[in-house]
Amino acid sequence: MFCGQCMREARKRRPMNWMAKTRPNATAAATARTTPGPSASQSSNPNVRVSNGLKEFLWLISDVPHGRILDLGPVWQSTVAFFVDKGYRISTEDLLRTWKDFQTDEEERQRASTSAEGEKVTQAMLAEKFLEKALQYPSEHFHGILAWDLLDYFDPQVVPFLLERLFNSLYPGGVVLTLFHSRAVERYNRYRIVDSQTIELVPSPTIAVHAHVFQNRELMDLFGKFRSSKTFVGRDQVRESLFLK
Amino acid sequence: MWRKPNEGKPSSQPANSPGSVPNQTKVMTPLPVSTESQAPVPQTPVLHAPIHQAVPAPPPIISAPVTKTPAISAVRENSAPSRIGSGLKIRGELSGNADLFVDGELQGKIALGDARVTIGPSGRVQADIEARNIVIEGSVQGNLKARESVHLSSTSRVQGSILTPRIGIDDGARLRGKVEMLRASEAGGSPASEPEKDSDVLRPVHARSTEA
Repeated sequence: MFCGQCMREARKRRPMNWMAKTRPNATAAATARTTPGPSASQSSNPNVRVSNGLKEFLWLISDVPHGRILDLGPVWQSTVAFFVDKGYRISTEDLLRTWKDFQTDEEERQRASTSAEGEKVTQAMLAEKFLEKALQYPSEHFHGILAWDLLDYFDPQVVPFLLERLFNSLYPGGVVLTLFHSRAVERYNRYRIVDSQTIELVPSPTIAVHAHVFQNRELMDLFGKFRSSKTFVGRDQVRESLFLK
Repeated sequence: MWRKPNEGKPSSQPANSPGSVPNQTKVMTPLPVSTESQAPVPQTPVLHAPIHQAVPAPPPIISAPVTKTPAISAVRENSAPSRIGSGLKIRGELSGNADLFVDGELQGKIALGDARVTIGPSGRVQADIEARNIVIEGSVQGNLKARESVHLSSTSRVQGSILTPRIGIDDGARLRGKVEMLRASEAGGSPASEPEKDSDVLRPVHARSTEA
């Protein structure tokens, strides 16, 4: 129920694409572009990085005052408080841990079942079974999804199934923030939000090994259903990508 | 002439101040405790020393009239919570106002609107929980609604929605579900599994671009 004037004003504000929308802190963004990238963050803490991807993500969801966010990492007080303070509703599902728990259960189940069956279980079959219980959300439910670098840790055959589910649960115009490493990761980190442009890498016990380095072409294919994308490449060669439904 | 003005003073002087000694005798004399304790003592200023000792002494008469209400509430707050120990399994609905500690298994519903519910490290609960404060150290499958706060400790495993004005999450906690903050005014009212109002918040983000 918008009046005509409101609609006209909204249309004026509406950017035609990412590049057309001016940011209130355009100077800061320009400064960030000229500096050598996330790893050159002002902070002396090596586990903290300035994230242009996060900044962009927040900007993209800023028009939805009470939007829904899905965080696919573990639950952190700081991340929850960050979004809740801004009026968002946040759901969390530690996808990688859930997947690992599922895999363990499946392996035990297979070990317990009679080996005579000899049924070969593919990753795709596992993914389908996994999604019967995981990522159970209504379609077009979330306005933003934080996937962090999780997709790097899944088998490449599983990723399309996950993305299909995420795509369905994303509202039209919603955005996914993902991180992709450009080389195998030495240390397993989890991510939490410190402030609107800073994320903290929390070194954690390894629950999964880095499975795959996605090339840009692969990413374009995987996220083919999404309307558009934007990627920030850090000095540490971590790509922060945003995909818009 | 000399005594009357003194009789009018007692309430204006603190009981344990040295100046209040003569007045205290007036007030305390009827009390059996003081008379017993000072029986062998002559009635001189020395007489009041035992009375001072009697004031903090065991409650029955002296402290009862002054601290009655706080004492009762303190007893309630300090009282040990009702406990469902490990090894116990309960199925059904729990309601009331007593604090509860669950270290066993519980299935059903917990509605203790004005109390504190703690799910211990060994607790396994499949229930919606509604309480004033909720602390989770074990595993819960169900929605949590707290009037004041929810705390998830590092060993907690929660699957369900959380509605609360305040939330505390320790590192290592596992939550699969939604966190929604209530204002204090909203927190008192409706039941845990209240449906959310989607219609007014599900506005498309796509206002920003369609042609990109």
